[in-house]
Amino acid sequence: MTVASSLSPRFRINSHRWLAWIGSGLACLLSVIGLVLCWLQPSIHSPLKPGLDFTGGTQIQVVRACGGGSQPQPCPAISADTIRQQLTALRLSAPAAEQPPNLSSASAQVLDQGRSLVLRLPALDSDQAKAVLDDLNRSIGPLKAEGTAVDTIGPTLGSRLLQGSLISLLVSFAAIAIYISFRYSGVFAFLALVCLLHDVLITCGLFAWLGLLRGIEVDSLFAVSLITVAGYSVTDTVVVFDRIREQRKALAHLPVIEQVDVAVDATLTRSLYTSLTTLLPLLALMFFGGSTLFWFSVALAVGIAVGSWSSIGIAPTLLPLMIRR
Amino acid sequence: MARQQGWLALILALAIASAALLASYGLQLGLDLRGGSQLTLQVMPSGSIKTVEQEQLEAVKEVLERRVNGLGVSESTLQTVGSDQLVLQLPGEQDPTRAAKVLGSTALLEFREQKPGSEKEMNGLLPLKRQVEAVLFARRPGAQAAASNTPAPGQPAKPTTISEADMAKAFSALGLKIPAGSGEVDQLEILQAEVNRRVINLYGPPLLTGKELTSAGRQQDRTGTAWEVTLNFNREGAEKFASLTQSIAGTGRVLGIVLDGRSISEATVGPEFKAAGITGGSASIFGNFSTEEARDLEVQLRGGSLPLPVKIVEVRTVGPSLGADNIRSSLIAGVAGLVLVALFMVFTYRLPGFVAVLALSLYSLFNLAIYALIPVTLTLPGIAGFILSVGMAVDANVLIFERVKEELRSGNTLIRSIDTGFSLAFSSILDGHITGLISCVALFFLGTGLVKGFAVTLAIGLLLSLFTALTCTRTLLRLLMSYPSLRRLPYFLPARELPSGAA
Repeated sequence: MTVASSLSPRFRINSHRWLAWIGSGLACLLSVIGLVLCWLQPSIHSPLKPGLDFTGGTQIQVVRACGGGSQPQPCPAISADTIRQQLTALRLSAPAAEQPPNLSSASAQVLDQGRSLVLRLPALDSDQAKAVLDDLNRSIGPLKAEGTAVDTIGPTLGSRLLQGSLISLLVSFAAIAIYISFRYSGVFAFLALVCLLHDVLITCGLFAWLGLLRGIEVDSLFAVSLITVAGYSVTDTVVVFDRIREQRKALAHLPVIEQVDVAVDATLTRSLYTSLTTLLPLLALMFFGGSTLFWFSVALAVGIAVGSWSSIGIAPTLLPLMIRR
Repeated sequence: MARQQGWLALILALAIASAALLASYGLQLGLDLRGGSQLTLQVMPSGSIKTVEQEQLEAVKEVLERRVNGLGVSESTLQTVGSDQLVLQLPGEQDPTRAAKVLGSTALLEFREQKPGSEKEMNGLLPLKRQVEAVLFARRPGAQAAASNTPAPGQPAKPTTISEADMAKAFSALGLKIPAGSGEVDQLEILQAEVNRRVINLYGPPLLTGKELTSAGRQQDRTGTAWEVTLNFNREGAEKFASLTQSIAGTGRVLGIVLDGRSISEATVGPEFKAAGITGGSASIFGNFSTEEARDLEVQLRGGSLPLPVKIVEVRTVGPSLGADNIRSSLIAGVAGLVLVALFMVFTYRLPGFVAVLALSLYSLFNLAIYALIPVTLTLPGIAGFILSVGMAVDANVLIFERVKEELRSGNTLIRSIDTGFSLAFSSILDGHITGLISCVALFFLGTGLVKGFAVTLAIGLLLSLFTALTCTRTLLRLLMSYPSLRRLPYFLPARELPSGAA
């Protein structure tokens, strides 16, 4: 049926395999360097810059009632440093027998040309958070009530989230590996996991660099996006494997390299179209979606692009090395 | 043909039912989308209880539910999470600070008798306690305005400040040191904590607790500047209260009212109650309460005290405008992305592409209807799951149509190509969806809240996508193929890709 096209694949992935390996190898190496650098950075001291969700603490976001379209007056300039000094001087009350939290470790970020401000503080209770807000209202106010957000997360919650996501990921990897070895073979399962690690590693690496260079933090949505990338990566790889399995029967007389090349060539259009159609809504979300979703969409888009690449360039080029016929 | 019509009827019926479902139920949006706040409370083991059992968690929940209702916040939900946590969601513009305060305290109310022989020490402590409380009360934001608006005739002016010398004297009398660099309010709070500790030490064991209350209320006190909380006891409580007041009547010893380890009121009982104590089963607490404090205490006392203490471990707030902003722009972005995908499909696959767009629209409709039916609360991770499942559903169609094209290119007839395309694509579609579902099951059972929302929407999407790709697309395509005028190869493939001789 497909013999006519199979004899002369337009595109032979295995003739470019060194290029593919070097490209992916470099990307993986850069990712590992990013993760290690992040770990060595004393202010981060973990492979990725953890956000509030994982460290615990209080994040206060305020919007000032000045500047912007309808407001005639521009905002008086504020700087993150003055805000920090002012917070350090602020004394908070604490329940009996407890030390009030020390605000000198607070960090402040000024956004939108001074219109809004994000503060990262140690965990505060509701009274203390209110005291900080009152203080801000006096110094840089008036603040818009509807733009104010106070998030407090206990550190145990973050570690529970991380633990839950990691365990569920590992269990799902194991279950997927069992399913693939059952439907295909152990080699295919191994390669699917290699691809998956490749995709997750590069996505993490990118965010390690973003954390180092731009101060981007990873939150629980990032954990969700990694899980999504993992799921997508496996599905993408499985489709190529399905075609390889089919060609191994149809072209049994040819060497494995030939079978793989024919299979990849046949699924190439599909792989590109599918990533394109998944990337389109994500790109739309990146450029037009709410600010909360921006980095989430970036993680998903990068992971899906890399996942699509690894299903074309990594699994099929490693396969001939691992099976003879 | 008859089989196709049967499927078509089923699909149509499902589409109508879904639309009706969506119209009547609507979608439940999570707090991250519509704005609001979420409080997570951890139930703490205390005393003899080392681990929190299901019963105790339920008991805590019951008390908290009564308090939430007392607060009068609309549409709030309180759910148990895991073995020892409760999550309260307050939608819209409601102040989580206040809810946190009212829910977070145990509200254990105790009536205690002052130990005999401690009169002298108590008489030394109480004036200081009153002074500190009055100054702190005056320092509270908003309190001054209230006090100056309603001057209390015939009452001595309450002290609104404390001199440095007095402060130093009070500190040394209690054996404390003034911390360097601390402000007046900080020092007052240190004083208050120490005085309170000493006062509590002079009390005997609790003789009557908040358990014996039947109701609580509040009213303005005589001076008009502060509020008092009124209490009504049940019969047993009334008897205990009478005997308690009888035993201290006329002795000069005080009746201490203690809330969560804090002495909030100390009252003497006149000698006229020596005979029978204060009967009638009602009392009131004068504790210099502001309006809000009185209301919160009333709510707490009505709801009863918590059987175990709770700690607030998380407060998340999304301003309603932030939420609304998010949902609007993300919705526009999502729809724009889907329109691009639809254009792409029609452009690349022609007639089948058009059929796929129809099938995918049905797919989205079914998805949303199931969200409304179960109901699934849509959150940001949930939307991510939905997007991924749309991607997979499109992928299924792409896989099928690529196979159909391949068959056409190798010279097969149209109908045969369509059938072979579907059956050849089936195994890869199945494998892709099953691996996806495996992840969903693991994520749902082992993951936490956010991840669960993602797993649920993705799983629903995957199951539906199997159905729509293999049924809707196929049925619609077959139906169209029954019209000879549509059975033309150029509707499927550009002429240059056709094998010579097949056209």
